[in-house]
Amino acid sequence: MNPILICRDCDTVYRAIPLRRGDVALCRRCDAVLARYFGASVESGLALVCAAAIFFAIANLTPILSIDIAGIETKANIWFAVRSLQQGWISVAAFGLAFTTFLIPAVQIALLFWVLLFARLGRRPPGFGPIMRLLHRTRPWSMTEVFLLGALVAIVKLANWVPITAGVGIWAIAALTAVLALLGRCDPASWWSIAPAVKT
Amino acid sequence: MDRRCPRCQSRIEHRTPFSTEMTLAWLIAGIVFYIPANLLPVMHTSGLLGEEDSTILGGIFEFWRAGDWDIALLIFIASVAVPFTKFIAIGLLLFTVRRNSRWQQHQRTTLYRIVEFIGYWSMLDVIVVALTSALMQFQMLGTAEPRPGIAFFCAVVVVTMLSALSFDPRLIWDRRT
Repeated sequence: MNPILICRDCDTVYRAIPLRRGDVALCRRCDAVLARYFGASVESGLALVCAAAIFFAIANLTPILSIDIAGIETKANIWFAVRSLQQGWISVAAFGLAFTTFLIPAVQIALLFWVLLFARLGRRPPGFGPIMRLLHRTRPWSMTEVFLLGALVAIVKLANWVPITAGVGIWAIAALTAVLALLGRCDPASWWSIAPAVKT
Repeated sequence: MDRRCPRCQSRIEHRTPFSTEMTLAWLIAGIVFYIPANLLPVMHTSGLLGEEDSTILGGIFEFWRAGDWDIALLIFIASVAVPFTKFIAIGLLLFTVRRNSRWQQHQRTTLYRIVEFIGYWSMLDVIVVALTSALMQFQMLGTAEPRPGIAFFCAVVVVTMLSALSFDPRLIWDRRT
């Protein structure tokens, strides 16, 4: 008996059929994506998470943008941007920025690593249920791609006035965006199905 | 009764409780925050050309006048078009759901998904202001500092996202008597 799928947008109930590579199952009534073909194995997922962690570290340890005027240099990355917003009660914006561009991606990478590491060992990780729910909850709040676009806008904006250069960090942010998109495509619902050993 | 998913332990609800009420409350908060976000300056710059406070709309206008129409358009979309689209779209969804309307159910569901997708791009201006302030720290040539408008704008983004997330699209398809 095939499992049952329920459309998250209109509650129509379906019997799932096996999907082939490139297949996307759409709701007949409202066109919502019901399921995608999910080819990733635990190993490839784990490799992507490790890549994401490395890119995240590079993006936070190297300058994303820098300006050099007569030997005086200023640099910026996610943390410099957050710190520049820490002024009086404007700090709520600093908190918002730190949350969406640093904390959420870091937590997502860490949790996915935890889950996939145990899945690789064929075991159910401690706190599996709450972790999957947290991953689902945090999904809309990761703004790495918006930060990338913001950095590009800042370059164009300031290039008319000062000699601004993009650092290694901007490539790391771009790569991180791509890897997180690959991992995010496979929403937690798909991760439930890849490791039979961790299912209840 | 408290029913939970046997696999992940999340609470199972027929419909998100108080969905329309929460959506409306966050929507009103978003519209209220949007006013100071546009009236107050978002950035203060000082340099050889003097001191200046700039607002979001003022910034877009400056780019447009300087010939950078593409950047002006991008910031206009992220800071003006997206929030307004969200206000109108969520307002429309709430109004039709409250009235139990069966009008264009398919298109309204698509509209909901668009609102969900475009939501976070409005954060763009907050990031641009933060990066500019971090970089422009030259005592001689010029400095840039954030101003309260940007905090209100950040609040608009967060609150309108919460509004969209509170909305249960399944309500569009319900036929209540």
